[in-house]
Amino acid sequence: MTLVIGFLIGCAFGAILYLGGASSYRRILGTLLLKDMWIIKLMMTAMGVGTLGIYLLDLGNLANLSIKPAYIWGVIAGGAIFGIGWALSGYCPGTCVVGSSEGKADAIFTLVGALVGAFLFALAYPVLEETLLAPANLGSITLESIFGIQGIWIAAPFSALLIFLAFFILKDRYE
Amino acid sequence: MKDAIISWKAAGVSLGLLLVIATYLVKPLGVSTQFVVSDAVVAHKVAPEFAENNQYLSKYGEKEDWGVGYGWMLVFGMLVGGGITARVFANKQPEADKGSMPSLWKEQFGPSKLKRNLASFGGGILLLFGARLAGGCTSGHMISGISQLAISSFIFGAVTFAVAIATAKLLYRKRGV
Repeated sequence: MTLVIGFLIGCAFGAILYLGGASSYRRILGTLLLKDMWIIKLMMTAMGVGTLGIYLLDLGNLANLSIKPAYIWGVIAGGAIFGIGWALSGYCPGTCVVGSSEGKADAIFTLVGALVGAFLFALAYPVLEETLLAPANLGSITLESIFGIQGIWIAAPFSALLIFLAFFILKDRYE
Repeated sequence: MKDAIISWKAAGVSLGLLLVIATYLVKPLGVSTQFVVSDAVVAHKVAPEFAENNQYLSKYGEKEDWGVGYGWMLVFGMLVGGGITARVFANKQPEADKGSMPSLWKEQFGPSKLKRNLASFGGGILLLFGARLAGGCTSGHMISGISQLAISSFIFGAVTFAVAIATAKLLYRKRGV
């Protein structure tokens, strides 16, 4: 059953990314060149709705949270490497799947590269584990656990801020 | 600039709701782990000894269930859902979003398909190497992670955007942007 749910959620995820223009090179690069705010607004809206919804669920203990551990060096180094790949290909792992489904050759090359990248990481894992992953691991911490208050008190204003910025402050384009 | 098929508002709200539904039913959205799972499934089949001995691959795609669980079906669903939607709405997609040779890229780097595909391939390698090192990608770390107020995801989001913006500005520096 979980497999069917996963498949259906994935179908919806892929459709939303396609329909919302997230698998488009001009949109991604427009964002990264700080000219086209479409993707930023889309992401801020999704996170605004997501944060509020997740922490409302959490009030009733209904959220199956999955907090990634904060091993500082690995997250920073990985984020930097990821950022270069993102700007170079114009895709992220999710949108390259959607772009491939559209039949875009550059997305398919990104997808194959990604499979190779994952394999190279597996080869390098023992070394990286010792140097970047194990040290300075602060564990699965969140703003909630740091401030020690019920998450909704942080989630609600944070979510309102994201929606406010996306809907009223950011322009569509900057020249 | 022509918009997409649906507005960023519609896409953002539905993506947020989808994330909440996924978190309620199973767990938040994530993509990048499944590239490892795919590799691991193949590795376990082609070179089982190697896969068993690799610290990272041995954690995924084991024989019993082939490691193809909820997460993998989700990414497979993206391929199917994206593919079907792309065919149904093909004539509604803005021209500028079509094809594998974006006009922005072409103006800057010329019409060579080889160049574009090599950059995409190299970019793909960096994407997944970085995502696995950091523990997630745009969906798992940024959208799902920040929505859970995870500290690691705020760090990932900030570093990724900063480096990606710098890289994009460097790539397109001759345009004076």
